[in-house]
Amino acid sequence: MEDHAIVRLEDASKYYRQGQMEVHAVDGLSFDIHKGDFTALCGPSGSGKTTVLNLIGGLDVPTSGKVFLEGRDIGLLSRSKISAIRRDRIGFVFQAYNLIPVMTAYENAAFVLSLQGVSDRECRDRVTAILKEVGLEGLENRRPDEMSGGQQQRVAIARAIVTRPAIVLADEPTANVDSANADSLLGLMERLNRESGVTFLFSTHDQRVMDRARRIIRLHDGRIESDEVFN
Amino acid sequence: MRTLKIASRNVFRNWHRTLVTTAAMGFAGFIMILFASLMEGLLQGSERNAVSMDLGDIQIHAPDYREDPDLYKVISDPDRILADLKKAGFHAAKRLYGFGLAASGATSAGVQLRGIDLSNESDVTQINRHVLKGKWLEESDPSGVVIGRKLARTLGVDIGDELIFVGQATDGSMANDIYTVKGILKSVGEEVDRAGLYMQDSAFRELMVLPEGAHEIAVMRPDRSTDLIAATSKVADIAPGCETLNWRELMPVIARILDLADSQMIIMVIITYTAVAMLVLNAMLMTVFERIRELGIMKAVGVKPWQIMMLVYAETFMQVLAASIIAGVSGIALSRYFEHNGIDLSSLAEGASFGGVAVDPIWRAHLTAESVAVPIVFLFIIAFLSVLYPAIKAAVIQPVRAIHHR
Ligand SMILES: Nc1ncnc2c1ncn2[C@@H]1O[C@H](COP(=O)(O)OP(=O)(O)OP(=O)(O)O)[C@@H](O)[C@H]1O
Ligand SMILES: [Mg+2]
Repeated sequence: MEDHAIVRLEDASKYYRQGQMEVHAVDGLSFDIHKGDFTALCGPSGSGKTTVLNLIGGLDVPTSGKVFLEGRDIGLLSRSKISAIRRDRIGFVFQAYNLIPVMTAYENAAFVLSLQGVSDRECRDRVTAILKEVGLEGLENRRPDEMSGGQQQRVAIARAIVTRPAIVLADEPTANVDSANADSLLGLMERLNRESGVTFLFSTHDQRVMDRARRIIRLHDGRIESDEVFN
Repeated sequence: MRTLKIASRNVFRNWHRTLVTTAAMGFAGFIMILFASLMEGLLQGSERNAVSMDLGDIQIHAPDYREDPDLYKVISDPDRILADLKKAGFHAAKRLYGFGLAASGATSAGVQLRGIDLSNESDVTQINRHVLKGKWLEESDPSGVVIGRKLARTLGVDIGDELIFVGQATDGSMANDIYTVKGILKSVGEEVDRAGLYMQDSAFRELMVLPEGAHEIAVMRPDRSTDLIAATSKVADIAPGCETLNWRELMPVIARILDLADSQMIIMVIITYTAVAMLVLNAMLMTVFERIRELGIMKAVGVKPWQIMMLVYAETFMQVLAASIIAGVSGIALSRYFEHNGIDLSSLAEGASFGGVAVDPIWRAHLTAESVAVPIVFLFIIAFLSVLYPAIKAAVIQPVRAIHHR
């Protein structure tokens, strides 16, 4: 593919020092993610999935190698630039406890938009539409502790996509929900990808989740074991 | 605005902690306001007793009268000085002093005789209104005297009783006469209480055979907010060849205590608030650590470090604001109460004195804007300083660590 990659890793490595040992959490990874991709990052626990997502999301910096986001080397950007990129260009969905407990579903979904300074009116229109899209119509005023795990993850997805980011990074988004909910969350992500063209990169070690991906990157000890594209 | 909304919800989230923190701050603030207004009352009372009951602002004496208060060391032209002082806009009164023995029945006591220029004295001091029992001196009653409260007790005299004064007149003859106790003064100061015997000017002159001069001229500025030093030198110019001193020079101890009162108040506030500061620090540190994950998520999705600090500060601000309202309302209420209903110390410390100046046996608060503002402003300052550490801690949270925390 010749079009600009949204994400490009060039020989990216992340080493952690644990006592005397050096852990190669990510070890010389190179791959591209393109617009419209629906990619799963798989591998056993400790294989480096979270670390990869953190590097791409600018939450962590590589020990060596480069990470490009929409063509920009994020290693060269200042902290506040990176923080602005996270806010404007990346949607984050974490494994659990994504939401701010004192805010309602609506407020959580609107949180990043209001950080961006989007007007209240536009914010309301977009958030209402997204919450409907993720199937949370009528639950706008619920606090996180009044929603199920699956509903909370939907709010997190709503928050991640409402800003129309270049990519949504989801670290084991289904790990804390039951299989029925996992299924419907994946269905939602798939539909958003297909219908609205949202680019997803998510990590998982759930086989049924992997089966829905169109591309699977398998990691082992911080290296790519396989990289397959399905159709 | 969004920050304030989130902050207010966080404040209610762990409401018992908020309640404890806010109540502690409010209580400390309340205590400090009450303390400040009681101190202010005490100090103002002392200054009032020193200046308005006895000294006046400025005094004129013959050159070394104060070292050796001799009956002969008089200001030779008191009437000219008095007239000039009045022309310059001051209130002024002549005073005469003598020493001797007062006796009633079998008891006697050394007394300081004070000859009062009745028509002018009431412009200078308020001693005429400071009568505990009976009445102040009256022109029409030259044999009436007013005495200090302790003296009355020593002599065992009451209103209407007679007492005999014995002393030495300027001509070397024995000065003695019988007087009637017309009034007994409230506490003024150790000296007056124990030995003060007030009589009118003319009676004194007759008794002590002192037709001319005065031992002291007491001066009062009509507006006490004007510069005392400037007024003192103005008075000194009017009375050349005399010693002119203001009350600060006459009572350096009291002046110094009053000067230090503000800084002492601030020191007290800081000491008391240190405990509060630790509580705030601890409470806010706990909130930050409890919410480390959620703060990490906030940072991950693009909230800037300073915005996180703002959030912590907004939460603190709300609690301090609530505490200030509690402190202000209760502090003002109780101070007002003690303004009207003084604390009666008479049984505890009869005639207590403070740098030689009597403390009113009824201790009243005096509420000033400062006695409310200083404790509240410092509450904010101390809380904001102590929350700096938790706020920075929150601001520098690394999202990666925070999200994987627990
Ligand atoms: N902050 C850290 N300090 C030290 N070592 C770390 C740190 N973060 C990750 N590691 C190590 O790096 C390796 C990769 O961790 P990572 O969390 O990326 O794996 P993962 O694939 O996400 O695992 P899991 O499926 O359990 O979430 C592991 O060996 C882990 O112990
Ligand atoms: Mg992980």
